Amino acid sequence: MRTVVEAKRIKKLYGSKGNVFTALDDINLTVEEGEFVSIMGPSGAGKSTLLNILATIDTPTTGTIIIDGADLMEMKEEQLSAFRREKLGFIFQDYNLLDTLTVKENILLPLTLSKINVTELEQRVDEVANKFGISSILEKYPYQISGGERQRTAASRAIITKPSLILADEPTGALDSRSATDLLESLKDLNEKDKATIFMVTHDAYAASYCKRVLFIKDGKIFTELGKGNQLRKEFFDKVLDTLSVLGGGQSDTF
Amino acid sequence: MIFSIMIYYTFVSLQYSTEVQSGIESSVSISSVFMIASIILILFVAVFVLYSNSFFIRRRKKEVGLYSLLGLRKKTIGKILFYENLLLGVIALAIGIVLGALFSKLFTMILLRLLDSAIDISFSISIEAIINTTIVFALLVLFTSFQSYRLIYRFQLIELFQAEKKGEQAPQASMIAAGLAFILLICSYWLAFHPMTTTEEMAINLGMIMVGTIVGTYLLFRFLTPYLLKISKKNKFYYYRGVNLITISHLLYRLKANTSALTIVALLNAIALIAISIGYSMYYSNQQNTSIESPFSYMYVSTNKSFDDQVQKIILMNAKHPLRAQLDIPVIEVKGDISNPEMQSYLEGFPIKFISESTYNRVSAALNRKTTIQLSGNQVDGIQPYLTDYSSSDYQGHTTTIQLPNEKVKLTFQTMLKDRILNWSYPDFCLVISDTLFNKIAKQITPLTYKAYKVENEQTSKETSDKLTQLADEKGIQVMTFYSVYREGLESGGLNLFILGFLGLVFLAATGSIIYFKQLTEAHIDQKHYEILRKMGLSKRYIQATIKKQTLFIFSLPLIIGILHSLMILQALSGINLITGNLIVPIVLSMIAYVIIYLGYYLLTLKSFHKVINN
Repeated sequence: MRTVVEAKRIKKLYGSKGNVFTALDDINLTVEEGEFVSIMGPSGAGKSTLLNILATIDTPTTGTIIIDGADLMEMKEEQLSAFRREKLGFIFQDYNLLDTLTVKENILLPLTLSKINVTELEQRVDEVANKFGISSILEKYPYQISGGERQRTAASRAIITKPSLILADEPTGALDSRSATDLLESLKDLNEKDKATIFMVTHDAYAASYCKRVLFIKDGKIFTELGKGNQLRKEFFDKVLDTLSVLGGGQSDTF
Repeated sequence: MIFSIMIYYTFVSLQYSTEVQSGIESSVSISSVFMIASIILILFVAVFVLYSNSFFIRRRKKEVGLYSLLGLRKKTIGKILFYENLLLGVIALAIGIVLGALFSKLFTMILLRLLDSAIDISFSISIEAIINTTIVFALLVLFTSFQSYRLIYRFQLIELFQAEKKGEQAPQASMIAAGLAFILLICSYWLAFHPMTTTEEMAINLGMIMVGTIVGTYLLFRFLTPYLLKISKKNKFYYYRGVNLITISHLLYRLKANTSALTIVALLNAIALIAISIGYSMYYSNQQNTSIESPFSYMYVSTNKSFDDQVQKIILMNAKHPLRAQLDIPVIEVKGDISNPEMQSYLEGFPIKFISESTYNRVSAALNRKTTIQLSGNQVDGIQPYLTDYSSSDYQGHTTTIQLPNEKVKLTFQTMLKDRILNWSYPDFCLVISDTLFNKIAKQITPLTYKAYKVENEQTSKETSDKLTQLADEKGIQVMTFYSVYREGLESGGLNLFILGFLGLVFLAATGSIIYFKQLTEAHIDQKHYEILRKMGLSKRYIQATIKKQTLFIFSLPLIIGILHSLMILQALSGINLITGNLIVPIVLSMIAYVIIYLGYYLLTLKSFHKVINN
């Protein structure tokens, strides 16, 4: 199995001389191909920072990251952009759709810079829209569809370039429970049927329970890790909740 | 606002400037001309300031909402905004006047240069100008401050907060409306090229053109352009490539928001270009026009030998303007009727002037022209009267019947000559007949002798012209000089050009600024968009490319439309001879200047855009 993400000794510091804040403190992390991993932790723990670094939107102060065999620290801005475009897919909490484009146009946007011909382009869009059940709203504009549909559009956009890694930042954050379940089920299918590698940041134990592996982060360090193994989702969910209650809850100074 | 104050002040100070007044020699009244222009300027500046003020206010909606949320009373907030604006206004006024004083010297120099005066400028500050400017702008500032005050009262609190978040709807493209735009514009253009003869026709047609153009332009921006853009989306091969997807769909939205601004800009551009072109061309072709109107440097009707001798002496004395030709032109003035009814009404019962063919040929030779004519019997050639566009066909086939003391003589028109030989006087109806016929008539009616002189460098023959005019006035004789006509044309032309150019510049600055401001506001709104694009992996280069394309489109579209409209209207106007002279060079130059300045604005906008986006 291929290693998609290999992050070693990632450190991220903010501020200057007298006032340094350590957002990430010596993180080591590996994600294999076909994994569905999520990272959980309280606010300010560094989840989004880590995600931004993996997404090449931010750079670590020290440490190495290799995604799909490419060393991110070695790449220049143009290369990083291309890399982001071709190898990565994003799903954000606030959808981040362009409201001047239709659903269909939003989905195929990442492909406009690749040299794919029009027929294949349209084919891919139809394929992906089917997968997420949004074929009926392709010609609508974002302001005309519900939150759940918007997030599914974003998810479609994330996978249309057939990326090596899908990064999701609180994808269910703004959704009602029904839409959230729909989205998570789709992601699970994506992972199981198409072997998509998904890395999700969330603070919602319900969402995390859909994953195979959950990392817990607190104050910039990886605290512990839970594997699903052969448990049912409900059991895993309880386990996650237990870990969370140990992890969270007030200023604990046992760690 | 500083800019507008400065411009206004400069303008007004010119109005009161004594130097400029002494630079005008002819009876052209500058103060009235300047006054009209300054009124236009005030109106325009007022509209512009109000518009940009509401613009800036809108940007602060969120801030104002925040104040209200924090518990500040509406009245307090209103007062804050009011005083803020007032203070800014006062500062702007002060700075504007100072800058204006500095710049007025520059502009005075330009004006005097146009008027070809050799007057020295001293640096002076006109109190009246300051007072005038202060009053006008104080009123304006008060009004805008009041406008700011009202902001908090006009909107609900929630609206103020969500001002930024308001989602935009997809622009509708109505095919009917788009088609209507197309038809209206085509009709206007067709009308412009349609010849108009009667004044009634002119008024109606011009009116229709104006209405058609204005409405058509609005519809163009509102419906036709979005429609065309939407069609280009159908071409998927083009649309799905590179930056086009983002650029085109973005533009569709932007057009809807910017319709009125773009329409106004396009129309203002057209007006400014027309004004500048007309002004410039009148000025430019002054020399030419004067030569046509006054072929000779000095001309008068001889009555008295001693007077003639005096005149000759004065003219010959002038070493700076050596004599090139001196002629006596016998002219018979006789009343007559013309079978062409249009010309008959042109004559209005005044006598026709007759010249013999040999005289005509003599004069032609003296003026270095090539035309020679030959007539026989009762043939007559007509000379094209100044400022008409008669052609040979108007003359051919017609006759004129003149009333001699003993008989009536009927003459048949052969052709029309373009070159005039007498300096203009009213009515300008001159015919050429054969020598035999002329001599025959001369026996019955004594011809008048027109004395004609042509000197070198007639443009600068001020001294002699003045002397002659003075002398002639004493004797009650009318002397027509090249110089006075030239001078008058130069002064009114120069004045017009200056004012029109000035206004044109103001319009230009205003339109550029409007687009600039709008683009900048949109940059703020679009920041999020571009962030999303960056996150998705679209590089800086991509984003810069799409911004460049959009801005280019937004800037160039109204400019091009403005240019086309102005060309069309200039064509219409010259078709009815409202403007004469060579238009091509001035028009091209004005347009190039316009384009260059717009280019400057474009680059400025790009730079600012990048600064905002890259934050």
